[in-house]
Amino acid sequence: MLYLSQLQGQKIWDAWSRPVGRCADILVGNLEQPFPTVVALALKDHGAPTRFIPAGQISELFPSIVLKVPKEDIETYTPVENELPLGARVMDRQIVDTEGRRVVRVNDLQFARLKDRFCLTGVDVGGRGLLRRLGVERPAVTIARLLRRCLPEHVIPWEDVAPLQHEDPLRLRISRDKISQLPPADIAAIMNDLDRRTGRALLTQLDDETLADALEESPPEVQVAALSQLSPERAADILEEMGPDEAADLLADLPAETSARLLELMEDEDAEDVQILLGYPEDSAGGIMTTEFAWVPVGLRAAEALDYLRRSPDAQDDEAMPYVYILDEEQHLHGMVSLRDLVMAPPDRSLEEEADDEPPTVEPLTPQEDVAYLVAKYDLLAVPVVDAEMGRMLGIVTVDDAIDIVLPTAWKKRLPRLY
Amino acid sequence: MTLKTLFKHRAGAALRRLWFFLTIFGPGLITASADNDAPGIATYSMAGSTYGYSFLWLLVAVTLGEVIVQEMAARMGAVTGKGTADLVRERFGVRVTTFAMLCLLLANLGTTVAQFAGIAAAAELFGISRYVAVPLAALLVGFVVLRGSYTHVEKVLLVLCLSALSYVVSAFILAPPWGEILRQAVTPSFQSDPQYILAVLATIGTTITPWGIVYMQASVADKGVELKDYRYTRLDVMAGATWGNVVSAFILICTAVTLYAHGMAVETAEQAAQALEPLAGAGAHYLFSTGLLGASLLAASVLPLSTTYAICEAFGWERGLDHRPREAPVFYGLYAAIIALSALVVLIPKIPLFPIMWLSQSLNAILLPVLLVLTLKLANDRRVMGEWTNGRVQNALAWGLTVMIGAITAALFVLPLTVAR
Repeated sequence: MLYLSQLQGQKIWDAWSRPVGRCADILVGNLEQPFPTVVALALKDHGAPTRFIPAGQISELFPSIVLKVPKEDIETYTPVENELPLGARVMDRQIVDTEGRRVVRVNDLQFARLKDRFCLTGVDVGGRGLLRRLGVERPAVTIARLLRRCLPEHVIPWEDVAPLQHEDPLRLRISRDKISQLPPADIAAIMNDLDRRTGRALLTQLDDETLADALEESPPEVQVAALSQLSPERAADILEEMGPDEAADLLADLPAETSARLLELMEDEDAEDVQILLGYPEDSAGGIMTTEFAWVPVGLRAAEALDYLRRSPDAQDDEAMPYVYILDEEQHLHGMVSLRDLVMAPPDRSLEEEADDEPPTVEPLTPQEDVAYLVAKYDLLAVPVVDAEMGRMLGIVTVDDAIDIVLPTAWKKRLPRLY
Repeated sequence: MTLKTLFKHRAGAALRRLWFFLTIFGPGLITASADNDAPGIATYSMAGSTYGYSFLWLLVAVTLGEVIVQEMAARMGAVTGKGTADLVRERFGVRVTTFAMLCLLLANLGTTVAQFAGIAAAAELFGISRYVAVPLAALLVGFVVLRGSYTHVEKVLLVLCLSALSYVVSAFILAPPWGEILRQAVTPSFQSDPQYILAVLATIGTTITPWGIVYMQASVADKGVELKDYRYTRLDVMAGATWGNVVSAFILICTAVTLYAHGMAVETAEQAAQALEPLAGAGAHYLFSTGLLGASLLAASVLPLSTTYAICEAFGWERGLDHRPREAPVFYGLYAAIIALSALVVLIPKIPLFPIMWLSQSLNAILLPVLLVLTLKLANDRRVMGEWTNGRVQNALAWGLTVMIGAITAALFVLPLTVAR
């Protein structure tokens, strides 16, 4: 295998074995391909400015760099857009490993000969790459062999990485497409591991839904920082995409002025939901509930209920839908049926017969600990929150939000990044 | 707008502004109080008791140096949003980074040992054996930081650190000759005796630290200070550095009046505590050890973590407490190793605690130029800093400082040879 660290600084020889200078960098093109091709080699000859030799004039890269032409016939290649100088822009930088879903640092870059071209094949992110750069790879391997260990190569195929640099919008777009497909929690972790500039660049590139999902998985400081980097209009759009409970938590963390302005910019319906939630303390059932839940009116049969749900916008918004609630016009709770029971019920069975007509409920001001206790005791996936005075159902607390207080999610244990 | 709403608005705005200042001023104040950590107190006490007021001019010069260096680090954090290790790696490659990180590790390991020595000394003043206190402190620090409850504990420790202020009060009780002090503060003097040179290096190394640079840049980068707000950060950094050194000067003055005047060069923490006797009488021991303990615990929590973080950042290893130990073995391993090793060194029987505290700072100063040169190159690189590169005066002063430290270090190694002849 051939590595960039072995090429940089190597002498370049012309067809008649005369030295022409040293290799400073390698330029690759066709970046959207799985294996971008080497298009030119940066030549540094002391005194002279750096210039590029086209790949077509290179005969060999290994064991030494030899040109096909004599010194006098070397052409100068002019880089076009969408080409990447690897040493200057990729080596030693942080990139996202989209398979391993984490941020890694480029220790070296691997090349291979494919037919008549040289291609960039992979990124070395392991200890072997570091040792090679330090010039001690061979002794280290020998010592390891004496100890009957092997030093594994850790090379990620170029296909599976996403370089991120805020100064390089094109690469960023390609990377964006790869990163968008990762689970939101991983996107959140990646944004958190990147430096601020790059994180921001990625942020502005993601679409509203992906970003909203990722933010729901992020710690509050990251949410606040992220939102403050967006235009108010875009921030409001993101808040609309987020669950009302998450959006309310986030707005509560912002300065009052900013959150008021964002609420104004949000669509009325979403803003209203969020405003209700903002009225409750953060560690009460009201503070952690979501107002988006699936419900059906009283008096339907199983088949009609399923049909109703398919057309109901509220059901559409319910992210998990463990239960379906039966409500009358006053929004009084008449029963709760699990989605499983609803699906398995005979189509003409009356829903009330299938439902639990007195499910456990909590009030908006019920402390979070009590909600967690209830959820654990009755093995519930969600518990309805019912207004004490009017008896109206306001929302549900899902099990993950309820038990947060008992089993804090990983980020709650973490320090602010400044140690 | 009625008067009442106007007032409310005003009050709100004032409060917000105060909050804004506090959030932005945070890192500077922390670094400033950490200036007077265990090795800091030890160094200034040693210097004041051995050389009297003649070290004050050095402190003035070092303050200027600290302001310049810290401002540079803060600016790099604000402009790039990246940590020092990150920038060094991207700009200089693996070899230079490895060398720089080894220096950082060595300097910070020395300082962490000094913090644990501070904990041991404070415990012994309270009559607790170091073989109990140091392992306990190591476990406590590890537990608190890994549990993520550091932010709560930090406030308690910062309050303990405030006892360093008792030096200021003591100095006024002692009523030293202020005219003489002012004169010495502006009159440079130097001696070519190795002991003196070590003391000079310790004073530089405890004030301008490699970890101070790394910590400052990281905290500014993480806070996400916008460039338009950068002037507040600059103010904060300058105020923080100056403030920390004003307290240092009072430590020096107190020890000079109480101990130097009686020809007593401090060699133990017990002697150093005597500088607070005019204020606290028989309670001086407790006052001194409270401050020492608070400062040492604070720095022992921050230092190993900041070192580990920087090294893992440089080499691209998983880092941060939101990763589990299995995902980030190097991060957790290195962190545990630094704490364990530091605690163990202090537990070596009969190891002299007080000299460890200040000699580690001489080592800091000797290693400092490595990071200074790299920082200076980065801060002058247009590709990294854009329009925010160093000014000419700043460059001249910073290079001057670097060369000076190098020259003093060279003197330390060359002078004994010439004397031997």
